[in-house]
Amino acid sequence: MTAYIVKRILLVIPVLFGVSILAFLMSHLVPGDPVVVMLGDRATAEDAARLREELGFNDPLVVQYGRYMTGVVQGDLGTSIRSGQPVLEEIRDRFPSTLILTLCAVVAASVVGVSLGVAAAISKRGWVDGSIMAFALLGISVPTFWSGILLILLLGVKLEWLPIVGTGPAALVMPTIVLAAPAAAVLARMTRSTMLEVLGVDFVRSARAKGLKEQVVILRHVLRNALIPVVTIIGLQFGGLLAGSVIVESVFTRPGLGRYTITAIQSRDFPQIQGIVLVVAALYVFVNLAIDLLYAVIDPRIRYN
Amino acid sequence: MQFTRRNGLKAAGIAGALAAGTRLPYGALAAQSPIGDPEPEGEPVEGGEWVFGISELPDTLDPHKTGAAVSDTILNYAGDALIAQNFDGEYVGGVAREWEVSEDGLTWTFNLRDDITFHDGTPLTAASVKANFDRILDPATNSITAAGLLGPMESTDAPDDYTFSFTLSEPFTPLLDNLTSGVLSIASPDAIESMGDDFGRTPVLSGPWMIDEWRTGDRIILKRNPDYRWAPEYLHQDGPAYIETLVFQSIIEEAARVAAFEVGEIHQTSIPSTDIERLTSDDNSWIVSYDREGVVFLEFNVTAAPFDDVAVRQALNYAVNKQDVLDAAIEGYGQVAYGFLSPSIFGYWDGVEEYAPSFDPDRAKEILAEAGWTASDDGTLEKDGNRLEFTALNLPTDAWNRGAQVVQSQLEDIGVKMEIQQMEFATVLEEAQAGNHQAEFMGYTYSDPDIAFLWFHSSNAGEGLNLSHINDPHLDELIIAGRSAVDLEERAGIYAEIQQYIIDLALWVPLWIDEYYVGFNKSLHNATFNADNRAELFDAWID
Repeated sequence: MTAYIVKRILLVIPVLFGVSILAFLMSHLVPGDPVVVMLGDRATAEDAARLREELGFNDPLVVQYGRYMTGVVQGDLGTSIRSGQPVLEEIRDRFPSTLILTLCAVVAASVVGVSLGVAAAISKRGWVDGSIMAFALLGISVPTFWSGILLILLLGVKLEWLPIVGTGPAALVMPTIVLAAPAAAVLARMTRSTMLEVLGVDFVRSARAKGLKEQVVILRHVLRNALIPVVTIIGLQFGGLLAGSVIVESVFTRPGLGRYTITAIQSRDFPQIQGIVLVVAALYVFVNLAIDLLYAVIDPRIRYN
Repeated sequence: MQFTRRNGLKAAGIAGALAAGTRLPYGALAAQSPIGDPEPEGEPVEGGEWVFGISELPDTLDPHKTGAAVSDTILNYAGDALIAQNFDGEYVGGVAREWEVSEDGLTWTFNLRDDITFHDGTPLTAASVKANFDRILDPATNSITAAGLLGPMESTDAPDDYTFSFTLSEPFTPLLDNLTSGVLSIASPDAIESMGDDFGRTPVLSGPWMIDEWRTGDRIILKRNPDYRWAPEYLHQDGPAYIETLVFQSIIEEAARVAAFEVGEIHQTSIPSTDIERLTSDDNSWIVSYDREGVVFLEFNVTAAPFDDVAVRQALNYAVNKQDVLDAAIEGYGQVAYGFLSPSIFGYWDGVEEYAPSFDPDRAKEILAEAGWTASDDGTLEKDGNRLEFTALNLPTDAWNRGAQVVQSQLEDIGVKMEIQQMEFATVLEEAQAGNHQAEFMGYTYSDPDIAFLWFHSSNAGEGLNLSHINDPHLDELIIAGRSAVDLEERAGIYAEIQQYIIDLALWVPLWIDEYYVGFNKSLHNATFNADNRAELFDAWID
């Protein structure tokens, strides 16, 4: 087990190295010049040229990448062009907000999604199943920026139940709902279909024949066996939720990485963009490693060596 | 709700200055513009919190380094600049009690107040002012906005504790107005030295509010400076500001920002044109409007076909019905643009409305026919086998997109085919700078006619904002004359000529000038909208 974990962690290094190259190339090859965006209405050609030279943008890309990576291996993600602050510090300041929102959404999506999936599977083709699947379709189809605004107008303006801006727990409710809804919908559909598959298997019939309560059959025998693919999806959804937070944080004014990303891309702040991509990629890789390890907990037959 | 209409307050102020000749400080004419009750009743109340809803927090609050417009607003509340501008648009003493400009316009000498202390308790002296200006001029500072505002400044001097002077390499008339900018507020040199990078987060200045805390990605909080006794003469002199706390709350999403304003979570914010009518029924807010200092326009790349032919550019100026574009784009909340300046900018030439082409599709067709363009089978014009088609780059803004579509259909009526290609701002700029485009929709905001230097001077083609890539020696000459003219009447004359000449060259189809709307919660009393379209809150209180 330990050897497996160490091996997996070592494999992360080439992955992140690849990510760093991709992130670097993408941000530099996309048209758009951070210097010009920064100077805006005051951009004389002379100022732009001077600033570009000072920021080292006139060097060949390889030299710039080498300079960047030398910093990265020493734990320095560079300095933001726009704010002049170290990127690592900026990300560290914003990361907790995004992590809290994402975790809340993962938990909410898992609880709601799996519960609805189970309920739908049990009442297959009944009206409960029908309504849950309709909800799931809605959850997947409705864009978050739209549902976010609707929720603000309903819960924030009409009913005045929840604050529209803020960083407290109450301000977390609306963004969590909006961010979790599509993931919950996917999970509900996934749980339903794997549950239905397992429900038709022999050992379920045996369990029922033994005279076990239906509740025990469903929760202990069916759900546990149906959960492996669902957990995989939860891991993958985590990445999706991090990405989704880009939009949701903008709508709900949360000071997280999502909004930071948008600003970074709009202003072509290369060090910021690269830093975010690296950190998010690392997080994604580690979450999925954790999910892989979780399989053994859910299904004791799975062993790592 | 109540409207306060402010038309070209600033322009009127400077026009007044013009009448008074070039003596400094200028005399002016315009009236102040109170927000809400013209004569508030009751005594000022101390305390309270006033929350501004803004889209993005700035890059940095280091006045010398920032490039964000919102920094200027925040720094105006937290800092003191050398010169202030009163509600009539006149330039009055700020940190400087008075000042003098030499005959040749090159040497400016300031006599400073001796009673100002920074928020860290150190005194503000001529040496502090010199240290600030030197830091801006130092290329190592990488100053974006501030260095641009100082123009051709060459050297600074502090001959005694309260006398500061600087020398320019050539006269630079926009400087007087520039010296009132928030980003030219004087910062504590000790704090710059000791705080390092943190200085950009909570800079130490000398203004009525102190920057207390910057919550990353969320808000910036200013607290009242209890020791403030050096307000400019047009504000109350007997004590500090009344409002205890100013908060700049970032809310990117426009709809969420308006919603937060409606429920009173934020107290002041810009109102998008789509919400103005709805908010009319809201009893809790004052709405103030002002004209954009700038223009939205369709710009042609004169180095690319078909716009290398001035006839085509001129014809398109006759083909666009600007009122229709304005109505579609911003629901009519603005005015039609005729030249490259808006009426709110000094130097706006009244004759431009007569001089500029007005909507006349027949005239457009005539010009194109004279230039040899004939209709092809499908109605699109062509000449020597080339069809009159082009692609215009556009930014992904709803309003601009609606406007562009109206232009598109109007051009189609005279046989010109325009494709609209939407791209993000940075990409549009890069394409247009490289000259890889035929035309683009653009806009600018600037308070001085010297914007002509940035958009039309040949030195700014390629890497700057000369996106039409015009290289015209006569135009260059006029622009340089305009930015160095000391006599305001002469300066206005030069810009009138530039406005005419730009119309002759037909580099743009000027489209519209936005009217901006700002909503204020009615709990605010005795605030005034100043010449910079900023709410002056020093005399204001909240109940």
